Amino acid sequence: MKLDPRSIPYRAAQTAVQLGGVVIFAGVLSTGDVGTGLPGLLALFVLGVLASTAWQWLYHQRFDYELTADTVDIRSGVLSRRDREIPYRRIHNVDVAQNAVQRLLGIAEVRLETAGGSETEASLQYVSRTTADWLQEELSERKRVAGGETEPTAPGEELFRMGTRELVVLGIVSADLRLLAIVGVLASGVAPAVVEALPPGIELLLALGPSIALLALLGFWLVSGVRALFRYYDFRLTRQGDELRYERGLLQRYNGTIPLEKVQSVSIRENPLARRLGYSTLVIETAGYAAGGGATVQSAVPIGRRERVVELATSVAPVSTLEVERPPRRARTRYAVRYALAAFALTGLAWGVDAVTASFPQWYAVLALLLAVPPAAHLTWRHRGFCEDEDFVVTRAGFWQRRTAIVPYDRVQTVVSTQTVFQRRRNLASVIVDTAGGSGLIGGDAVAVDIDAGVAERLREDVAARLQRALAAG
Amino acid sequence: MTPAESAATDSHTTDRRRISPRIRVIWGLRLLVGVGAVAAAASFVATRVAPIPSWAGPALAAVLALVGLAWIEARYRVWRYEVRADALYLERGVLRHVRTIAPFVRIQHVDTQRGPLERWLGLSTLVVYTAGSRGADVSIPGLQPSVARDLQTRVKELAIEAEGGDAV
Repeated sequence: MKLDPRSIPYRAAQTAVQLGGVVIFAGVLSTGDVGTGLPGLLALFVLGVLASTAWQWLYHQRFDYELTADTVDIRSGVLSRRDREIPYRRIHNVDVAQNAVQRLLGIAEVRLETAGGSETEASLQYVSRTTADWLQEELSERKRVAGGETEPTAPGEELFRMGTRELVVLGIVSADLRLLAIVGVLASGVAPAVVEALPPGIELLLALGPSIALLALLGFWLVSGVRALFRYYDFRLTRQGDELRYERGLLQRYNGTIPLEKVQSVSIRENPLARRLGYSTLVIETAGYAAGGGATVQSAVPIGRRERVVELATSVAPVSTLEVERPPRRARTRYAVRYALAAFALTGLAWGVDAVTASFPQWYAVLALLLAVPPAAHLTWRHRGFCEDEDFVVTRAGFWQRRTAIVPYDRVQTVVSTQTVFQRRRNLASVIVDTAGGSGLIGGDAVAVDIDAGVAERLREDVAARLQRALAAG
Repeated sequence: MTPAESAATDSHTTDRRRISPRIRVIWGLRLLVGVGAVAAAASFVATRVAPIPSWAGPALAAVLALVGLAWIEARYRVWRYEVRADALYLERGVLRHVRTIAPFVRIQHVDTQRGPLERWLGLSTLVVYTAGSRGADVSIPGLQPSVARDLQTRVKELAIEAEGGDAV
């Protein structure tokens, strides 16, 4: 089968836009202004456009794809040819992407993702929207058949849909609070010094300080709200047989599938604001590929009422309880000591700055941070814990981004327990449950932090033993 | 598991073993290079940049060497490995003590590696790869080549025997 002929002018126009930029740049660079040498440049540009149109026509002529009995065959390339066969069962995900212009033209890009890396395995640029939808349907059907399943797919059942309310909440919640905290500290701490240094009259700014901070807050919310609107407008999650499908986006519609049999872990994430409002994010990690695209972790549900998110999470990973057991109280003492040391270190730094530059005579004011130590230690402690179930281990950690990870025993890759010298003093240890999820670098692992050393020892052996039992049973 | 199978498994398992004491030579040579670099830097600073006493450089190097030697000894004493019936078990780390269980079902492949230093000392490193996000985190240094080969065979046999796939 061929690509849609409308893709020729679209791709040529894409090249022309880039070419136009280069030509204008070159023109400005060589003549100093855009006016002179215009005819020559224009000719060059027209020539370039013609050449790229011809090239895209050839590309279209030489691009051919076919659905065979077991594979998708793609033959492409104008000068150097590439034949690629992708077995249906290796396809993890079929994405259809469409931006505003493409929507106007009625064309779409189809991307085939397989495991093993964040790169797209193959991409069809572009086919008509109807072909794209048909391909997506057909490929997952063939993938299902190739996987040995015979029951026909039931029509998709809508699991979740984001309304305006959720979009607004997402906008508010996804503003990075840490950034805001830093801005707040800077505004209140540095602003007075800046104002003092400025000529009189600008002191007025000092009075305006809080309102400026408020404006910044509103700005943050506005920006992240608009971003949420563009990315997650009309987000829909449906279940179709053994996979979840999502669709989202305002100008560019994204949709993709999350194969449930490939799920490595399910996690529920909330920042303090979301917790306060009673909302959560659901992230489903599949092997080597975080649902949604690339190496970035994408959400199965960007934001939803906590009860609904928990319900969805437990439908994917039927865990009996999310009530985690907190670390022993001596862990809290440990955090208090750690934060107090950090406060003292900062005070020392402030003293050092003052000793060298004499610009910070109130360096001891930094000691006020000590007041924040007990609540901070308590909050850190409060939001950590783990629990075990028949089939799952659940871990929770993080105050700013609380993450409750649910890992099925039969997905465990390795189990690691660690104990630093500081943990040994208090007879504590941590257990890391590693899976083949795609986000190891972004803290994707499930970690039970600072639990009793004896409990950690048991948990490590227990998870490994339950993995063997789960495999023997399955 | 049938009795025959469990007997086969038993013959592959090991008790909790330590690594070869000669690994300390390799770590010691690495330490020597590090300390030498620090000493050179210190002497450079002493002669060209700041007037610090001439004994400061050697003293620093000596302290570093002592600490390093103690650390090497501790690291060697802590290291343990064990081939269990269903998993590889490792224990290591002085400041951060780490105990790892790598189930055989999850092992993708097993390598033995020998660098020039290791060859000279007659040592070998066993590296076990899983599909986990921590990749080749599982390696055992300081093995005699025969032991490493033997372990590789045992782990390979047990990994083939174990059923369940890689869960990817």
